[in-house]
Amino acid sequence: CKVVNSFNEDRMEDRIEELKLAQACFTKAKNEFAKVQTEEQIKLLKYQQRLEEEMNRPYLNLSLHQTIYRLTLANNHKVAEQLRKEFKVPDRRFWWLKINALGECGDWVELERF
Amino acid sequence: MGSTGHLSNGKLNLNLLRDYYRRELLECLDKCLGSKALVWDDALTGPFGLIAEYSLLKEHEVEKMFPLSDKGLPPSNVQNIIFVTRPKLHLMEQIAQNLLQEEHKGGFRKEYHIIFVPRKSLLCEKKLKESGVYGTLHYIEEFNLSMIPFDSDLMSMEMEGAFKECYLENDYTTMFYVAQSLMTLQFLYGIIPNIQGKGDCAKNVVDMMLRMRRELGGREPQITPQIDNLLILDRNVDLLTPLLSQLTYDGLIDEIFGINNTSVKLPPEKFVSSSQSPEDAPTEKKKIILNSSDELYGELRDKNFNAVGSLVSKKAKTITAEFDERHAAKTVSEMKHFVSKLPHLQQMRQSLSIHTSIAELIKEHTDSEEFLDSLRCQQEFINGLDTDKVNTYVEDCIGKMEPLDKVLRLICIQSYCNNGLKTKVLDYYKREIIQTYGYEHLVTLMNLEKAGLLRQSGQRHYPTIRKSLKLIVDEVNEQNPNDISYVYSGYAPLSIRLAQYHARPGWRSITEVLNLLPGPTIEEIQQIPVALRKRRSSITSSHSSVMDQKVTLVVFLGGVTFAEIAALRFLAQQDDGGTDYVIATTKIISGSTLLDSVMEKLSPVHLNPF
Repeated sequence: CKVVNSFNEDRMEDRIEELKLAQACFTKAKNEFAKVQTEEQIKLLKYQQRLEEEMNRPYLNLSLHQTIYRLTLANNHKVAEQLRKEFKVPDRRFWWLKINALGECGDWVELERF
Repeated sequence: MGSTGHLSNGKLNLNLLRDYYRRELLECLDKCLGSKALVWDDALTGPFGLIAEYSLLKEHEVEKMFPLSDKGLPPSNVQNIIFVTRPKLHLMEQIAQNLLQEEHKGGFRKEYHIIFVPRKSLLCEKKLKESGVYGTLHYIEEFNLSMIPFDSDLMSMEMEGAFKECYLENDYTTMFYVAQSLMTLQFLYGIIPNIQGKGDCAKNVVDMMLRMRRELGGREPQITPQIDNLLILDRNVDLLTPLLSQLTYDGLIDEIFGINNTSVKLPPEKFVSSSQSPEDAPTEKKKIILNSSDELYGELRDKNFNAVGSLVSKKAKTITAEFDERHAAKTVSEMKHFVSKLPHLQQMRQSLSIHTSIAELIKEHTDSEEFLDSLRCQQEFINGLDTDKVNTYVEDCIGKMEPLDKVLRLICIQSYCNNGLKTKVLDYYKREIIQTYGYEHLVTLMNLEKAGLLRQSGQRHYPTIRKSLKLIVDEVNEQNPNDISYVYSGYAPLSIRLAQYHARPGWRSITEVLNLLPGPTIEEIQQIPVALRKRRSSITSSHSSVMDQKVTLVVFLGGVTFAEIAALRFLAQQDDGGTDYVIATTKIISGSTLLDSVMEKLSPVHLNPF
């Protein structure tokens, strides 16, 4: 299974390569859902890599939800909002995320505003 | 392991089975002469503990025991090293490594052996040959331990992979082991005349059994059958029941703490006796053995948890009352009578304190909001309320990143009760899970779909099944139950309803429902010589009613939950049931362990930044 393999690659390029292969397989198998998800995963990995470079904090290997959570914790609401739009996170879940994250870091001002 | 008396209390004396295994094991061991060291595959130590205690092994010159590991064997001066292992390839690698290291060390000549449990496999032998260690092995034995007696009416093979192997990988090896164990049981307790079953795996097992019997060619023990019926059920005939939260005492212990090989490990804080100072409080988890040799546990385990509290306090009162009898005792003979009861009383008091502590631990859990909310959500689903759209409670659980297995359980229940989910709803859930818990769970989700736990909408069977088997019972009496639905407070396990109809009035009355459930229905009769047949109740005798009590062996392929076991025991106790049940399974499961077995465990390697 290509998806499984991708997790064993420790180099970014190899991992994305493996995921692209998986994506091709899903297309062949007419598994539309899995194809789209794989596409998003590739996109997410690239985002995370850029974030790591910019902010010098570990973001790779996190899920999208966790990534946004960490960003909110780090007071980086703009990027969080951007990711939310990019990946179409439903409002309900985003609120939970925001409430929990802001609660954790004690940012009551931001919570109030939100 | 202490006494084994509890095994012989049932209709079927399972001590026979245990003795049989002990004989076989010792035969294996005695083939190697001289002192021995056993090297254990970790997964086998639990089951073996239930069969043979260390002192017995010692009598047969077993001097040392090691766990099998990559690190190689510790030095020892025994003449024989015996590896006891399951036939799994990764274990063969470890053994080969160990052997090569030993050879490297040289020194004192030893002989090396392997005992495969329950069977050797060609693949494993090939692996050993490839690693170049096959020649160093002296004996390669098989020890056919698979059905492990747990209690007087319960056997388990403790093979957790069974469900996954059968329904995901189409690997029927475990079914072969099941068929073999059933042959062993027939060897000890006589041929079982009536066989019925439901499901693909059941069909597979029955076919193998019949073939094995033909291969014996009539060379079978001449014993009057002690088991009348064999009922084999596939787990995928009823995928709903194990997903629901069990509400019996036993079931809750398993759901919260996990019971393995009849013992449970609990947080120690609750079990510090008052005499101990807090400094030397145990930090290790407290291990408690759970079986019916503990009288109180035997009474409590199958009760709905809501009935446990009152029962415990009632017991506490009677014991105190009995202790107080000593003041009333005046004559010497009365005193003597009291003293003779003392050990029993003290034992009762001790087990009472243990179970009070366990009950407190459980109560903490069942009173929590998360538990109650999830229970409410489950109840809505099984009643068919709003199952066709995305459930807000489930959404919230994902939003709060609650444990994934809890979320998956709820979604699978919804899927079952709605006869599969609409593509839109299903994709929404899947997307939510991947975004929240990570892309790696894509594989798990695909596995769930393959196993039928998650489905796209199909034909609408669930309402029919629910109605005709009366799965939902509105009025439940949790204290003094009158129906098996008490084990899930209002839901009767589908699998056990099938067993109930099987006993009376028979499966013919529910043919239509059976046709809605997956897999073929099986019915076979094994002919046995006239002389060995049970005599039907003769003209008179008051014990004819006792004699008529039939024994049914129910085999669950792919696992069974404690709540289902409780429900079967409840049926056996009913006066008008007329059937006693003995239960065998590949593994005792709960919803979480079931899902766990089909989950793909992927942990991403840490990315190399360069």
